[in-house]
Amino acid sequence: MSRLTIWLILGTTLTFLIGPFLIVIFAGASAGEALSFPPQGLSLKWYAKVFTVESFRASFALSMFLAIFGTLTALLIGIPAAYALNRYNLPGAEAIRTIVAAPIIVPGIIVGLALLRYFVVPLDVTITMALFVTHTALVLPYAVRVVSSSLNNLRADMEEAAVILGCTRFQAFVKVVLPNIRGGILAAFILGFVTSFNEVPASLFLSGPGVRTLPIDMLSYMEITFDPSVAALSALLAFMSVAIVFVAERLLGFSRYV
Amino acid sequence: MAKIEANAADPVIDMAVISSHDALSLARKNLLQAIDTSRLQSFDKLYTAAQDPIGDNMAVGYTFYASSIVYRSDLVSIESWNDLLGEKLADNVALPNITGTQGPLTLMMLNKAEGGKPGEFSGTISAIGKHADDIVTFYSRSSELAQLMNQEEVIAAPVGRFAWSRFKSSPLPFAWAEPKEGQAGGMNVMIMTANNGNEDLAYKLMDYWLSTEVQTRIAEALIDSPANTEVKVSDEVAENLTYGAELINSLNILDPAVIIANRDVWVEQWNNEVIR
Amino acid sequence: MFLNRSEGFALALPAALFTCLVFLVPVGILLSAAFQAEPGVWSLQGYVDFFSQPLNQSVFLRTLKLGVLVAGTSAVIGYAAAFCIVNLPASSRGRIFGLVVLPLMISPVARTYAWIVILGRTGIVNDVIVGLGLSETPIRLLFTETAVFIGLLQLFLPLMIISLVSAMENIPQDVVPAARVLGASWFQVFFRVILPLTKEGLVIGGTLVFTGALTAYITPAILGGSKVLMLETLLYQKVNVSNDFVSASVIAMILIVMCFSANLVLKRIASVRS
Repeated sequence: MSRLTIWLILGTTLTFLIGPFLIVIFAGASAGEALSFPPQGLSLKWYAKVFTVESFRASFALSMFLAIFGTLTALLIGIPAAYALNRYNLPGAEAIRTIVAAPIIVPGIIVGLALLRYFVVPLDVTITMALFVTHTALVLPYAVRVVSSSLNNLRADMEEAAVILGCTRFQAFVKVVLPNIRGGILAAFILGFVTSFNEVPASLFLSGPGVRTLPIDMLSYMEITFDPSVAALSALLAFMSVAIVFVAERLLGFSRYV
Repeated sequence: MAKIEANAADPVIDMAVISSHDALSLARKNLLQAIDTSRLQSFDKLYTAAQDPIGDNMAVGYTFYASSIVYRSDLVSIESWNDLLGEKLADNVALPNITGTQGPLTLMMLNKAEGGKPGEFSGTISAIGKHADDIVTFYSRSSELAQLMNQEEVIAAPVGRFAWSRFKSSPLPFAWAEPKEGQAGGMNVMIMTANNGNEDLAYKLMDYWLSTEVQTRIAEALIDSPANTEVKVSDEVAENLTYGAELINSLNILDPAVIIANRDVWVEQWNNEVIR
Repeated sequence: MFLNRSEGFALALPAALFTCLVFLVPVGILLSAAFQAEPGVWSLQGYVDFFSQPLNQSVFLRTLKLGVLVAGTSAVIGYAAAFCIVNLPASSRGRIFGLVVLPLMISPVARTYAWIVILGRTGIVNDVIVGLGLSETPIRLLFTETAVFIGLLQLFLPLMIISLVSAMENIPQDVVPAARVLGASWFQVFFRVILPLTKEGLVIGGTLVFTGALTAYITPAILGGSKVLMLETLLYQKVNVSNDFVSASVIAMILIVMCFSANLVLKRIASVRS
C-alpha cells in the first residue's frame, strides 16, 4: 500500500472520530445565542457562563467525588482481590473473577434500575450513597483487571525472597509488590476515574432532586436551554480528559493498559 | 402518583398538585378525601370550572392552561388544527407524545377539526399514523419542544400555554395560533390524600395558594395562570398566561373521565399505527 | 504461588462480597421479575406479552439491525485503519493510536451532542447539502435511524480498531509481503492471511462494538428520540412513563441474552473459518 493510501484512510477515519469534538469546541465559542456551526462570531462568553451555572458546579463536585472516592474504594478492595487471585492458588478463583467482572457485562441501565428497586428503596439508602456504591461496583472490574495484569508481569519469587529474608507477607507486599505495580494502580485509577466520571445509564435512575452527576445534569440542562454552554462544557470536559490521558501516557505509557 | 399509591396506608404526601385526570384516577382508587370547601376562603372566587372539576369535591382547580399551536410566523401561518397534518408542515412538525397530558388534547382538537364524534379518537390516530413519516418526532416535555424549535428542526407544534415564555424569549419569530376550532385547555388541581393526619396544615396551604394575593403573585412571576377570578394582571403579563373569563370559558376541555377510560386503548393503537 | 488458602480467600472476600451484595443480588431479583408476569407465579408470559406487540417487535428488530450494521461497518473500517496503523513507522504509530483511543476518554454526552451540531437542520452537513444545491431546503437528518447509526459508529469504532491493532501486531512482519511476492492479490491476502490470523481480535472487537451499540442509552435517546426507539430507550420509557416493571425486566433479560449470544455466535463463526 502506498503512503498516500495509508494517510488517506487514517485521515478519513480520524476526521470521523475526532472532527466532531473540534466542531463542539468552536460551537461553544460562538458569540450568538443559539448553537450553530460555523459559530456566529467568536466569544468566550459561553465558556465563562459554564462556571456560573449553579447546578453545573454542584453536579461537577458530585461527579468528582464519585470518580475519586468510588475509584479509591474500588482499588482498596480490588487490589487485595487481584493479589489473591494471582498469588494464591484458590479453588474457585475463576468464579470469583467472574463475579467481580460481572458489572462490566450487564448493561448500565439495568444496573441502575436494579439498584433503585432492590437496594435503594428497600434499604432506604440516600441517593448520594447509592451513586457511590454503584460507581464503585462499576469501576471494580477495571481495578481488578488492570492490577492483575501488572501483577502477572511481576515475578512472585521477589516477594518470596523478601519473606525468606524475614519480612512478614504484609511487609513484603508493601515494600516489594506495591512499588512495582505503582504504574498499574495509577492506570487503574485513571481508567476508573474516567469511567465513573462519564457514566450515564446506571446513574440515570439514581438521580434525585438536586443530586445529579454532571453528565445527567448536562442532559437535563440541554432539555431546558438550547444555548452553546453545553457545547462549551463538553469541550472543557474533553480538554480535561485529554490532559489526564496525555499526562498519564507521558508518565507510564497508559494506552497499553486500556 | 407512585408514592401516593405505595404509601396509601400511611401517607407520606398530604397534599399534591397534579393534572385533573391523574386526580380522578387516584380518587377512583379511594386514595383521596373530599375537600371541605367551606375551609377555603377563596373558594367562591374561583372560576366555576375549577370549583369541582372531577366530582364529589375530590379536587379543586388552581390553574388553567390553554393549549394551541406555536409556529414560526416567518415561515407558515396556522388557521386550523388540521394544518398539523397538512402539506405545508410535512417534515417540519412535531406532535406531543400520547403518554403526556398534551397528547390527548391534540387528538381532541384534530378530531374536532375533522368533524369526528367527540371522544372517538381512533380515526384521528390512524390519520396521524398515515402521516407518521412527515412528523419529526413526538416530544414528551415542552422544554424538549422548545429546544427543537430553537434548533429549527421543527417549525410548528401543539403545546401548552405555560411553555409560551420559552418561545417568546427566543430570537426566532414564534407566534401563538388561534385556530378556527378554538384552543384546547386543561387544568391542574389540588388534592388531599385520605387519612393523612395533617389536614389542618394542608387546608392552610391550599387556602394560601388560592388567595387572590398569592394567585396574583404566581401569575406575575409567569409560573401558573390564575384560577381565581379576582386576580388582575397587566396586559403584558396576561400576554404570557391563560387569562380572562372570556378565554377560559372558550377552552375545549377534555373530560378527565374520557381520558382515563380510553387511554390504554389510545396508547396501544398509537404504538401500533404511529410509532411502529 | 502461596498455599495459605484462607488468607487468599480473606483478601478476595471484600471485593466478591461487595459485588454480590450491591450488584448481583439486585440485578438477579430484577431479572427474575422477567419470569413472573404476576408476583410469585413463574412463567414466560412476560415474553409472550412483550413480543405480541408490533411496536416491541419492531424495536427489537431495529436494535438487532443497528447492532449488526454498526459492528459490521466498524469491522470494515477497523481493518483498513488497523492495517494502516500497524504499517506506520514506530514513531507516528503511538501518536496515531493515541488519537484513536482519545475519544473513548471523552464523555459520551459530549460525543453525542456534537452530532446535533453536525446533523441538525442548521448544521454543517445541511450547509454543505444546500450549498452544493443537492436540496433546496435543509433535510431532516436528526431523529432518523441514520443519525443513530452514525452516532453509534463514532462511539464504538475505536474499540474495534484497538482490538484489531493488537491482533495484527501478532502477525509476523514478513507474512503479508511474502504472500504478495508469491502472487496473491490484496483480496486473497486479506481473506487467506490477515483474516484467519486476526479472528480473535475480530471476535473481541465485534462483541465489544455490538454490545456497546445495544446498550448505549444517550445516542438513541438524543439522536433517535421517541420515533427511533431502541431497546434501551424503550426500557427507560417503560419505567419512567408507564411504570411497567415486568416489561422493563423482560427487556433487560433480552438485552443480556443478545449480548451473550453475540459473543457465542462470533466465536462460532471464527472457529468454523479455521
